[in-house]
Amino acid sequence: MSAARRGNRARIWKPGDLRLLVVGIVFVLVWGGIGFRLFDLQGNQAVALATVGFDQRISEETIAAPRGTIYDRGGVELALTIDGWNVVVDPMMLDDTVMAATVLAPFADTSFEELVTDLTEGQAKESRYAEIAMRIDTAHKEAIESAVAEYNAGVDKKDRLTGVFYREQPLRVYPAGSVAAQVIGLTAYDMNDGIEGLELTFNSELEGDPGRLIVERDPSRRIIPQGQVIVEPAIAGSDIVTTIDREIQFAAEQGLRKAMQKTGSLSGAVVVLDPDTGAILAMANAPDFDLNDRSSASPEVLRNRAVSDMYEPGSTLKVLTIAAALEEGLVSAHTMIDTPHSIEIGDFTYSDDGYNPPQMSVRDVVAKSSNIGTIHIEQMLGNDRHYDYLTKFGLGRQVGLDVEGERHGTLPPTSQWTATSGSSIAIGYAVHTTALQMAALYATIANDGIWTEPYLVDEIIQPDGTRITTVPRAHRVLSPETASTVRSMLGRVIEEGTGKRAALTDYTAGGKTGTSFKFDVERGVYSKDTYASFIGMAPLNDPRIVVAIVLDSPHGELPDGVSLSHGGASAAPVFAEVAQNALHQLGVAPDRD
Amino acid sequence: MTELAERSTARLHPRTRAAVRSAGGRRSVLLLVIVAMLLTIGLGAMMSASSVISIKANSDQFELFTKQVLWVGFGLAAMVVTALVPYRIWQKYSLPLFVATIIGLIVTLVVGSRRGGATRWIEMGPVTLQVAEFAKFTTLALLATVLTKKGRLLRELRHVVLPVGTILGVVTFLLLAQPDFGNVLLIAGPAFVVLFASTVPLRFIFGLGTLGVMAMAAIAMSADYRKARLLNFLHPFADAQNTGLQAVQSMVALGTGGFFGVGLGQSRARWSWLPNAHTDFIFAIIGEETGFAGATIVITLFALLAVVGVSIAYRAPDMFGRLFAIGIVSWFTLQALVNIGGVVAVLPITGVPLPFISSGGNAMLVNLAAIGVLVNIARTPRVATAEAVSV
Repeated sequence: MSAARRGNRARIWKPGDLRLLVVGIVFVLVWGGIGFRLFDLQGNQAVALATVGFDQRISEETIAAPRGTIYDRGGVELALTIDGWNVVVDPMMLDDTVMAATVLAPFADTSFEELVTDLTEGQAKESRYAEIAMRIDTAHKEAIESAVAEYNAGVDKKDRLTGVFYREQPLRVYPAGSVAAQVIGLTAYDMNDGIEGLELTFNSELEGDPGRLIVERDPSRRIIPQGQVIVEPAIAGSDIVTTIDREIQFAAEQGLRKAMQKTGSLSGAVVVLDPDTGAILAMANAPDFDLNDRSSASPEVLRNRAVSDMYEPGSTLKVLTIAAALEEGLVSAHTMIDTPHSIEIGDFTYSDDGYNPPQMSVRDVVAKSSNIGTIHIEQMLGNDRHYDYLTKFGLGRQVGLDVEGERHGTLPPTSQWTATSGSSIAIGYAVHTTALQMAALYATIANDGIWTEPYLVDEIIQPDGTRITTVPRAHRVLSPETASTVRSMLGRVIEEGTGKRAALTDYTAGGKTGTSFKFDVERGVYSKDTYASFIGMAPLNDPRIVVAIVLDSPHGELPDGVSLSHGGASAAPVFAEVAQNALHQLGVAPDRD
Repeated sequence: MTELAERSTARLHPRTRAAVRSAGGRRSVLLLVIVAMLLTIGLGAMMSASSVISIKANSDQFELFTKQVLWVGFGLAAMVVTALVPYRIWQKYSLPLFVATIIGLIVTLVVGSRRGGATRWIEMGPVTLQVAEFAKFTTLALLATVLTKKGRLLRELRHVVLPVGTILGVVTFLLLAQPDFGNVLLIAGPAFVVLFASTVPLRFIFGLGTLGVMAMAAIAMSADYRKARLLNFLHPFADAQNTGLQAVQSMVALGTGGFFGVGLGQSRARWSWLPNAHTDFIFAIIGEETGFAGATIVITLFALLAVVGVSIAYRAPDMFGRLFAIGIVSWFTLQALVNIGGVVAVLPITGVPLPFISSGGNAMLVNLAAIGVLVNIARTPRVATAEAVSV
């Protein structure tokens, strides 16, 4: 058989056979050439080409970490992050900007006319980005989606509205609106960078750690299922449980708002402390704003005045001198003190309002808020011991553990004191304090003489459930007996002294009025405007709350002619209302009928 | 030749007849094995390459694959028929078939549907007819018939130029009207090889070849998009995002595959990075998923197809069989070369599918039918050989 084939081939050689052979050889050679080219591409150039491919597919993205929630002490959400969206369009993908604006304008942040201009100008500049509605919630986004879908269903495929993109944008929302606005604070527009209040102080705890997503994507940015995927999950931010009690906070804000209306004050602050722990149950400021409406957040309303506004405390500081003298054994409640109408110290004359008897007991000095009596007691105490108590009570330094924007006030060292410093400080001038510092001072008296650092955040709950609980620092300033003596003196202020309007219907209470003239910086003299304050505690035997109220420049007078510029007239009633509400809220049994 | 072919094989010595049959049989079996392997590789590559586009179209990732399987089935049925029908029927009816093709091309221009700026398809319900695919078959059949019939007259130039020029001229004119330059090349190229394999004097062939190449070059440069393709082919990375996109992405896919590939179904290029991954650029997907190893198998199969095809032509019982066979083989080889040459960026991108592998029903049907004809030519006893032996 093979012999036959060889024979055949030799015998029938035809003219075209050589040409066929040439065709066959050429074909094989060309395929060989293709093979070499393949070897070049898939061998020599493989790494370089694969790199080009990898680089165009790979994308590294940040996975946003869910920001932690801020709770009140009872677990009510004060600030939380929810799903939200930014809706943008690619103007270059729009055929008809007017039509696109017609569909989108009802949901957009801008008017129809502005939107048409935006989109048209975007196209002219070959921009690929125009904002439609930013930071909107899911319902709003779904409304846009269905409007686009509805429009697209009614037109030819080529006329469909494309190029609308929905990008995730977590939203920071504040369910309680304006409640505790200055305490909670705000985030930047990215909704994840704290810029005010607790959002700022605890930003690193709240924000968590963003994760990373490395994936391969197709040209339309869709993920290729077979591609490499590296996911480093985001670590959620910690939750924060504050000491704020939303109900007490609300009551404090209500009381403050009423006083603001009645007195036309420029501003005001209320602090409610739990004297036993130092927990800040409420910190209210006026004027205020709605956290969910950023446009209303001016620097003026963002200030947490209870810690950032310093004022000369006036008569509320007198209890410090009295308590120190009692503690040092220099006087007792019934020690009689000379109280002439006025005394001269250095080249300054101090006097009392109204007509006091020539001698008053220490407790009457407190009840009637006698300047002369207090100055006489301060003279018994002496500058050094006086200064010692001022610092032990937390004046001249920041007292809040974790309160954003706190000022430390001013307390000059004794070396800088003039002849009148001790006397002036005794009656609440020549030092500057914050409402929080004064509340902490009174909480010391309420807490049997132990000064406790006020704090806002009770617990930080980490994503794994670990709880970090705040333990505030505390130190003893007064003996329990001295504290108790001072409390009963404060009780008399409300019973029969300057603070009668601070009386509670259901509870015993003690406190002190304060009225200090505002220093007019421009003219260099004290003006007729005042800081009217009241700081008190209730119930008197075992105080559960301390409430401090400061009003800046209250005006007007009560029906009986008493000027509202006095703390006893304008601030004391706020105490009565707030303390009563707070004690009910805390479930404290009434001790007065 | 023809008088030899008409003689009965009955007079042959039985052993000689068996030898002839088994030699032809071996070639046809080899041919079928090669085609079967290409079909298998093609369906595998289709399953991967078309899944993304199928999902995008209507969420059934096997939609295009299923269609392709169906067309392979039709194609194999057509192949069985053409393998059993004596191939001389194509000689006998070459003219009517060619005329039918011409009418088909004219109808295409009149009622055809326009896609991507070209009118190449006639929609008939679920089926789309692309007459150009059939034109390759019928034109080569007519060319082989005419050249066989002219015999010794081919030594005169006018007997070559007039018939060949008329046939190619009409087809070229109608295809360019669509326009479909790719298929003009795939008819002119094999036609040239057929001329070369015939008894036309070499000086005519070189003259006509030179003229043909110049004509093709002129046509190629006449349309802006073809000109751009031709120029971009030289520097694909110069505009990798736009005109050089396909060439660059195709090379990227091949490079990503490396020596052994990223694995079946693991192609990244098919995720819209490489346009037309399941049609014109399916070889790039094969190269990406199976690497140099797999790509080499494919080009080796095409080279083997060429060798076996040329050997079938060489052994063909008569001049028509020889010319038709070499025409068919050149058609497949040139089409595969033009396609893969574009994919590996040594040729401009022309948009022709890869035989037996790319998606496309018409091409699959005609290609497999043509393979059937080759099988029939291979299995038809060589009377001429027997004569030579018996002399």
